Order: sequence, then structure tokens, then C-alpha cells
Amino acid sequence: MTREGPVKCVVWDIDNTLLTGVYLESGDQPPGADPALAAVLAELGERGILHALASKNPPEAAEHTARVTGWRFAAAECGWGSKSGALARIAATLGIAVDALAFVDDDPYERAEVGLALPGVLVLSPEDAAEAAGWPEFSPPVVTPEARRRGEMYAERQRRQAAERSFGGTREEFLESAGTRVGIAAATAADVPRLAELAARTRQFNSAGAGMTQDWFRGLLAAPDRDVVTVRLQDAFGDDGMVGGCVIARGAGTWTVPLLMMSCRAMGRGVIDALLAWLIRHAARAGARRLLIPCVANSRNVPLRLALAAAGFRVPGPAGQAPAAYQRDLEPPLPALPGRVSAPGEPGGDPA
Amino acid sequence: MSPPGRAGVASVTDDLRAFLATATGRDELLRIPPGTALFGTEVGLDSLTGTLLLREIQRRFGVDVAGEDLNLDSLATLGTLAAFVAQRAHP
Repeated sequence: MTREGPVKCVVWDIDNTLLTGVYLESGDQPPGADPALAAVLAELGERGILHALASKNPPEAAEHTARVTGWRFAAAECGWGSKSGALARIAATLGIAVDALAFVDDDPYERAEVGLALPGVLVLSPEDAAEAAGWPEFSPPVVTPEARRRGEMYAERQRRQAAERSFGGTREEFLESAGTRVGIAAATAADVPRLAELAARTRQFNSAGAGMTQDWFRGLLAAPDRDVVTVRLQDAFGDDGMVGGCVIARGAGTWTVPLLMMSCRAMGRGVIDALLAWLIRHAARAGARRLLIPCVANSRNVPLRLALAAAGFRVPGPAGQAPAAYQRDLEPPLPALPGRVSAPGEPGGDPA
Repeated sequence: MSPPGRAGVASVTDDLRAFLATATGRDELLRIPPGTALFGTEVGLDSLTGTLLLREIQRRFGVDVAGEDLNLDSLATLGTLAAFVAQRAHP
């Protein structure tokens, strides 16, 4: 067993699993939904866990299954290739790790194939799945409005990506045309559950690793020399709510950012770049000469390291310290902030 | 053909140009000189295109740029990245 951490998406077989029979063998009367598993879909969905389909069937079987279960699946792979291949594509489509998947299939051969090819996947029979709602892997510690809406947000994301593919201009022009709005603001007590959830769930854009609890964030909100910052994102396709945040420790000449994080869902939408540009401008305006972002450098947070490098941060001195001390002098010229970003101390934002 | 274990800098440079043009949908990137800054306004590499680029380099040349270069200094310009990759490539 190599898997760890919560399941983010359950990939379901269709025939004799979510349906009470075999779709292609049932003629004009395709089978209905298994009521026990339909209840599991809803229960896990409420907790922010996604559902997807992997079936050796034509795509109509997925549409039928969505209809009879009343569920909008975040992804569907229909075809006659291997189920492990389907799971890998679903993970890539949703932008989550294969190890964050669970797989439910009535066919022991399919379960064995996935278990062998993808040892990090939690593989379950339909009988197991009916009870899985009580397992810790399916029980995220906090469930926020963002988490409950996660399934819808993935559907919005697919529409946004389709629109971007057919859009002629640059990404910057697409973000503008989609009415993208990035809101950077001081955190309040009401933001703490979502901040802790982001700290626990983000990997690709997380400078600090795990361990930031709700109590940790509450303590920082009360500290006089610390700022907790939230980042929200929306556009014409939907409202993603809070997608990121950071913590600032204000020192005399150097400001330090002990935590910088963003949901990978917001990748490619100008959010991390906006947050870094604002941090640089904000610290420089307050008279700081240097901004320091300690960052655990590993293979999973390469996207964050790219964003840091793009914003002019470097690790001086020999490599090998952990965490690496990414830093940037705050000499002019300072980076610009696009008009779609509202932030403290910037035009249209709250006062600093 | 390049000698085994090494790829020519010029051919890596061409491959990187082609990938950047495809990933960004901007054909003018097919003609950028090696001294062009990747994070500058002209190419505008960000975390998304950068991740795709590094993944493609790993797939095509077997070089883990992020693993070998903590600071990602190799991404300074098109030329520095091509040299870094060509030196380590085992396609």
C-alpha cells in the first residue's frame, strides 16, 4: 500500500457497478442506477470528492449513467483500452495525482489490473464502496463551500479550457476576455477553514509542506506582526472562491513569507503571478528591502518554483539547504499588476 | 545525427522553439534568438507553460531540469536552456 492522504476523486465502472445490469445487453431498456451506490455518490460529493467514469462502453453509456444517477461526473473515459490507462487520463484531465484516485469495479480482473499498474490507487469492490463513506480516506477534515462546489468547478473548468483552445489570442488576452477577476485581501476569521483546507490539499503550489492547522491560522490572525492574505478568483465561466493565500511576517528590512499556496485549479490564470507581484509591491511600499520565501524544493512543486523564478526570486549560495531561501531585492523597477487584480494598497483595492 | 548521449545545441534550440510556439500558440516564437529571456515579456514563460516545457524536455531528452537546477537558472534564456539540456541529454 503506497497511497496516503485523502481520496480526491472516485472513478466508477458502469456495468454491474453503478448500473444494476450491463448497458449494451439491455436493448431498449437500459438498467437503472444501483440505489446504494447512488447514495454513496451523493454522500461523497457533499464532502467535495469528485466522481468520474471509466467504462468499456460507448460514450452513450456515460450519458445514461449520469441521467439515472442524477450526477454530473467530472470526467468520463469510455473505450476498450485498459482501465489503468483510463485512470491516468482522468487524473491528468482533472489535474490531480493518480494516488488521489479510488477505483470501484465489480470485475476482479479489472481491479487487479489497476492495482498492479497503479499501486497508489485505492481499489474497491462495489460492496466495499457502499461502506467507504465511513473510511478516513473519504473523510476530509473540513468541508468548505469551495470543496462542496468542486464538481461543478471542474465542469466550468472544462468549458473554460474549450473556450481558450478556440480563442485566437494570447493567454493574457483570453484572461481579459473571460472577465477574470483576482481579489487579494486580508483574511478574516471566517476564512480560516478554507485556508487550512488549502494548506492541507495543495501540493504543486505550496511553499511549506503540510501541518498548518486552523489553530495555526487563528493564532496568526491575532499576531501583530503577521498578515494572513487570501486570494479569490472568478470569471465569466464561474466563481472559484478562495483559491490561494499566503502569510507575511513583517520584519525591519526583510519581509518573510512562511507560507505561499494556491490550488492547482487556478494554474494558468495569472493568480500566482499576481500574488507574487503584489507581495513585492506591497513590501517595497512599506519600506522593506528584501522579500524572503522559504520553499521546500521537490519534484511536486516545480510549478511554484517556476513562478518564483519568473518573479525574479533566486536562492543565493550553495544548494542543499532545506527549505531553500528564495529571495528578491525590492529595488525598482517593481512589477506591474494587471487591472483585473484588486489588492490592498492598489487602485480599486482595500487600503493597505 | 547527434553522437550517442549528446544532442546538438542547435537542434535542441529548434525543438524548444517549436515547443514554445505550439504551447503558446504564437508562431513568432519560432524565430527568437538564443539570447531571448524566457521569463521576459517576449516569451512570458509562466508556471503553466514552464511546467509543460520541463515535462516535454524530460520526455524527449531525459533531462530533469528542475531536479538538477534548484534555482532554474538554466531557464534564463533560450540559449542557456538549450545548452543545459544538450549537455545532459540521453534521448
